[in-house]
Amino acid sequence: MAGPYTANAFTLAPASPQAAAISNLFAGTLIFLGAILTLVTFLVIYAVIRYRDRPGAPEAQQIFGSRRLEIIWTVVPILSLAVLTGFMMRAMIASDPPTADARPDLRIVAHQWWWEIIYLKSGVTTANEIHIPVGKRLLVDFRSADVIHDFWVPALGRKIDIVPGHPNRLWIEADHGGTYLGACAEFCGNEHAWMRILVMADPPDEFAAWIKQQSAVPPKPVTADERRGAEIFRENICTNCHLRSVGPDLMHVASRRTLAAGALENTPANLAAWLHDPNNFKPGSNMPDFKLSADDLRALVAFLETQK
Amino acid sequence: MKEAAIPGALGDESFEQEAREGWLSWVASVDHKQLGIMYLLGAFIFFLVAGMLALLMRVQLAVPNNHFLSPQMYNQFFTMHGTTMIFLVVVPLLVGFATYMVPLMIGARDMAFPRLNALSFWVQIFGGVMLYFSFATSGVNGGAPAVGWFSYAPLSETAYSYGPGVNYWILGLLGIGVGTLTAGINLMATIIAMRAPGMSIRRLPLFVWMTLITGFLIVVVMPILNAGLVMLLADRLLNAHFFRAETGGSAVLWQHVFWAFGHPEVYIMVLPAFGIISEVIPVFSGKPIYGYEFVAASTLAIAFLSLTVWAHHMFAVGLGHAFDMFFAICSMAISVPTGIKIFNWTATMYQGRVRFTTAMLFAVSFLLMFTIGGLSGIAFAVVPIDWQLTDSYFVVAHFHYVLFGGTAFALFAGVYYWFPKITGRMLDERWGKVHFWLTFIGFNLTFMIQHVLGMLGMPRRVFTYPPLPGWEAMNLLSTVGAFVLAFAVLILMINVAISLRSGKIAGDNPWDAWTLEWATTSPPPVENFTHGVPPINGRRPLWDLAHPDRTDAMMMKLAG
Amino acid sequence: MADKISPDRTLPDKTKLGVGLFLFSEAWFFLILLLTYMYFHSLPADGPGAANSLNVMHTLVFSVCLFLSSATIHLAAGSFRKGDRSRVNRWLALTVALGAIFLFGQVREYLGLFAHSVTISTNLFGSTFFTLTGFHGLHVLVGLVALMALLGIGMSGRLGDVKPSGFECVTIYWHFVDAVWVVIFTAVYVWPLIA
Repeated sequence: MAGPYTANAFTLAPASPQAAAISNLFAGTLIFLGAILTLVTFLVIYAVIRYRDRPGAPEAQQIFGSRRLEIIWTVVPILSLAVLTGFMMRAMIASDPPTADARPDLRIVAHQWWWEIIYLKSGVTTANEIHIPVGKRLLVDFRSADVIHDFWVPALGRKIDIVPGHPNRLWIEADHGGTYLGACAEFCGNEHAWMRILVMADPPDEFAAWIKQQSAVPPKPVTADERRGAEIFRENICTNCHLRSVGPDLMHVASRRTLAAGALENTPANLAAWLHDPNNFKPGSNMPDFKLSADDLRALVAFLETQK
Repeated sequence: MKEAAIPGALGDESFEQEAREGWLSWVASVDHKQLGIMYLLGAFIFFLVAGMLALLMRVQLAVPNNHFLSPQMYNQFFTMHGTTMIFLVVVPLLVGFATYMVPLMIGARDMAFPRLNALSFWVQIFGGVMLYFSFATSGVNGGAPAVGWFSYAPLSETAYSYGPGVNYWILGLLGIGVGTLTAGINLMATIIAMRAPGMSIRRLPLFVWMTLITGFLIVVVMPILNAGLVMLLADRLLNAHFFRAETGGSAVLWQHVFWAFGHPEVYIMVLPAFGIISEVIPVFSGKPIYGYEFVAASTLAIAFLSLTVWAHHMFAVGLGHAFDMFFAICSMAISVPTGIKIFNWTATMYQGRVRFTTAMLFAVSFLLMFTIGGLSGIAFAVVPIDWQLTDSYFVVAHFHYVLFGGTAFALFAGVYYWFPKITGRMLDERWGKVHFWLTFIGFNLTFMIQHVLGMLGMPRRVFTYPPLPGWEAMNLLSTVGAFVLAFAVLILMINVAISLRSGKIAGDNPWDAWTLEWATTSPPPVENFTHGVPPINGRRPLWDLAHPDRTDAMMMKLAG
Repeated sequence: MADKISPDRTLPDKTKLGVGLFLFSEAWFFLILLLTYMYFHSLPADGPGAANSLNVMHTLVFSVCLFLSSATIHLAAGSFRKGDRSRVNRWLALTVALGAIFLFGQVREYLGLFAHSVTISTNLFGSTFFTLTGFHGLHVLVGLVALMALLGIGMSGRLGDVKPSGFECVTIYWHFVDAVWVVIFTAVYVWPLIA
């Protein structure tokens, strides 16, 4: 499996019709602006070379202006911007289709500093990683649990702010399968940098299988370590946060690709390192350091690894 | 006259001598030239501090998953870097040049309100000190504010920033705001009511014109910021509810209030820079400014339009397509008068005789750098592009091209242009060229690549990032660029130190310039014009004096 | 002392210009606070609000005092221009008295609201109401101090030392404070009656 950080986060490599609308507009605008820049650069460079002060250069002409030129460089930009505005209006509708009449499929609640993801039809709750079926449009309802965040997955299209008291909605979809990397794009405090998001666009059958897996109760702990780990999980007040949306729901944590909203790849070794010293990977996050003994740590990791 | 014997009475030369030389005299000064110099020096010190913060941030970002700075420190640093550069560096530098130059350029003895002038300066400095005092607050939640320069609520509310940092930020900004506001009023009153005979509004040097418009913007928008700040302070200290969503307040309201101030503030930081460029390019092209009326009128257009574009900072908030569309169209419209300026400056050089002084090098590269920043600004006015790129490194690159490639380059041009007038000595041209090229290269190395990082999905204000393809090399390059830029600043300091000591004596008018500040000695005497102001019969009084056979008035009549 | 390079005679008085610009900027400050009040007032809300917590008639009484004080200071300024010093003092004293009644009324109003547990932290009505009217009250207080300073100078018989433009600035400021209250009174007290 490729690491999560090879995922596509390029604004000009769209994976959805919405992103394609923006990408085309962006590319066209860049060409248009590039042409203007080239023109200005040429005019400036030509002027300073052609009219540079040197022995024998003609005296400076005392010219005060030209009404005709002023009109030209006022009217031409206005016309070209009017054209640009036309393209803009078209792309706005294509990249952010109306959301009013539909029922949301997905609720994303942004927290300091992780994403809570709730599939409204199946009730599946997960964190920081969204699975979507390829080729199907999902309506997302965004809420904030605390401060302003922003959902941004460049390959899927526009970003959208998640403002407390101001719910937003957005269609997301992907044309073809793949993993798309995103992030919180509005500064939200200490660990804004580690509030990353992964979108996995799966073929429909895989997606259905994933939903089924996430809806199932994970197997009961078997080995001594696993049972001890389950006990620690309950006793060590982990559940105080992780069952109450203060921290991510861990029911299927072992099936995720990253830990701590993208700060680490999800491997048993990384999980142990994270539990041993969360501050080393996400300083200032709300995950406390429980100062677990080596045995407890091993047991807790063993238990969590069963939670697929 | 008996009164003349009283110390301090006007005309007592020994007292004036003493008053001009002692250190204390600077503190007690109400002279616009001394205050102008203090503005420039104070702002330069803050520039060094905020520049150091930037270097520390670039070190942290040089490699992925870096542990050089904690996120708490990084977040404090970028907040203080932005706040300092905007409120304590760029604005005071521009106000400083205006304070020094405007009375000279309009043939006045001083500002309209000299004592208010001193008050503005000191309040601004104390506001800055108050802001930095936040670093000294201790405890887990102590330290400087860590909320970004626009301090979005509710992150800036007590619930999420319990330390006193944001309180210092608010109080510091209120102090700085009062200083800037009174300076704006003072400059406007000076320009309107203190002009020498003959200096009609249509003959004002363009730097003065743009300062006048800037003063207007300051007078309108600083109180908007102050209103926002007192509401935020009431939330934090008196448990009010303005921006607290959980009790019915509105986080979006803060954004409206802040950007209603914040976007015009960008033009407050850019228009005087336009003014400097409008002085430097004509002088070193040997020609009058092309299309004076259009350059001046387009400034007015920019100022009024700038009051109608604030919500283009809020396209991602989700306020509806119609809303976004209105602000998008206004934002695009503002690029038209800006373009008019660029074309007029360029046309000024045509058929001129372009002298490549350091000031002119900075001014010419301003044209190109500012054009890049302006064009990426047009991209941001196009709503869907903004939806992708806002709050990414593309926006960081964009506003640094506007404020560094634009304003800072213009300020450097101003430093080389006016240093002889202020100190009486020329700033060394060889060191100047080194300074210019290092600045040019360092600046573009630092910020050009950040456009690409933004397009590759790097959000702004992240203290670190995963090792994504391409990100490592580009971030490292950007860090290298930042150090080149810092080295360039060092060269400027060396140049100033050397030139102050042994620079060539400037004389009254070393550049063959035409505006009134060059009609007096360098540095100018107390009350500016010992032998009176030369007659003002046009926009270039000193040209008219030197060419009585072809004054501007005659030439304009000829041109029809 | 004569200016060698004195400005054109037609240029405006710089002091009046400065004060005018200052008040122009103050107007924007109040505009933001007022818009904030009106925005939150337009939203549905429970608890104390303008309709159930404010007493329009009481406020009208002391508001009328403030409106009248605009007339009295106008008369004071007129007497000042004519050089009728004793009348200046009388009209100034009346203006100060009317302004003080306004402030007294506002303090009483605040104390009444506090007694019913309506404070700046109660809800958004409290936050917006006290911020808006509080800053206005502060401006009235500053104006009163300036008026009392003028009155003090007048009573000690040195009104001749006061520059006409200085006197006029205080007048303009006082009219401004009055005008702001006309708008606030309409928006805060009269609006709920109509709506």
